Amino acid sequence: MNVWRAPEVERPGGANIAPERQAVEELLAYHRATLLWKCGGLTGEQLAQRSCPPSSLSLLGLVRHMADVERGWFRQRLAQEDVPDLWRTAADRNGDFDGVDPARAADDFATLEAEVAAAREVAARHGYDDTFTFRHRNGVEETIDVRCLMLHMIEEYARHNGHADLLREAVDGSTGD
Amino acid sequence: MLASEREHLQNYLDHLRETLLWKCAGLTGDELRRRAVPPPSMSLLGLVRHLADVERVWFLERVDGQPDEPYWKTAENWDADFDDVDDADAEAAFARYGEAVAAAREVVAGRQLDETYTSTNRRGDTFTYDLRWVHFHMIQEYARHLGHADVLREQVDGTTGA
Repeated sequence: MNVWRAPEVERPGGANIAPERQAVEELLAYHRATLLWKCGGLTGEQLAQRSCPPSSLSLLGLVRHMADVERGWFRQRLAQEDVPDLWRTAADRNGDFDGVDPARAADDFATLEAEVAAAREVAARHGYDDTFTFRHRNGVEETIDVRCLMLHMIEEYARHNGHADLLREAVDGSTGD
Repeated sequence: MLASEREHLQNYLDHLRETLLWKCAGLTGDELRRRAVPPPSMSLLGLVRHLADVERVWFLERVDGQPDEPYWKTAENWDADFDDVDDADAEAAFARYGEAVAAAREVVAGRQLDETYTSTNRRGDTFTYDLRWVHFHMIQEYARHLGHADVLREQVDGTTGA
């Protein structure tokens, strides 16, 4: 039986001069693809490796985390869909990072792909000046606009892609930004 | 937070600049110079030096048209900002970083996000972009390097946090 490996992906380019919405969406698409690109060609075992101790991060943990992040922001908070977290529970807020299982890597990738597709659908229904209110875990309510959410997503992906740079290099020596 | 596009971009970039310093806070020069993770050239001090030069390149040289005078890079070693940290003066690098950020803020003040610039990179490619793109580029550049800083800081003294 063939061993599953994370798919190799091509990353989309973007215009250097573009209106706000196009610039934001191209950049987010680029960073979403960069996380997958950083994982490309690795096995479930390699993806689950905690390769930069003492950090508990792994590439597969990042993939799972971003699926929960996509769902949390776009479906739960912006669209107010009644869907549960994927892996985080009240008892284990780090279930996304900690519950990595090499045998489930292909499923985790499919889940992220589905959440990204759902997030894109939700975002397409909104203008950047649209606002929404959500409650932080400490109970504090905050109102933000969709513009702020999109920038947050770019930052969140880019930061985790920085983790992915070091995790990937420690797994097999591959580098590249 | 509700604000205009421009305020959003500037606030975001400032937040990331502050996060870099926060990631380094409380460490000694030796700790900042420590090369903690693969690639072995990377250290928190290297990141501060690198981002000081990134601020200089984008805002001072490319947006404002000032001469290209790298802080640490040389023609022989284009990665000197990352590489040459073993004997580097951490305090001086932080001062240089602060100056670069202050100068970058001054350069941006009063300019429109739609203003365009043309540059030629080291490979000889010429490209044209606007100030909006520069902000996005800086935000992703900082965020990505802060991901490196997260792992480095945890290796130096166990501190985590975003």
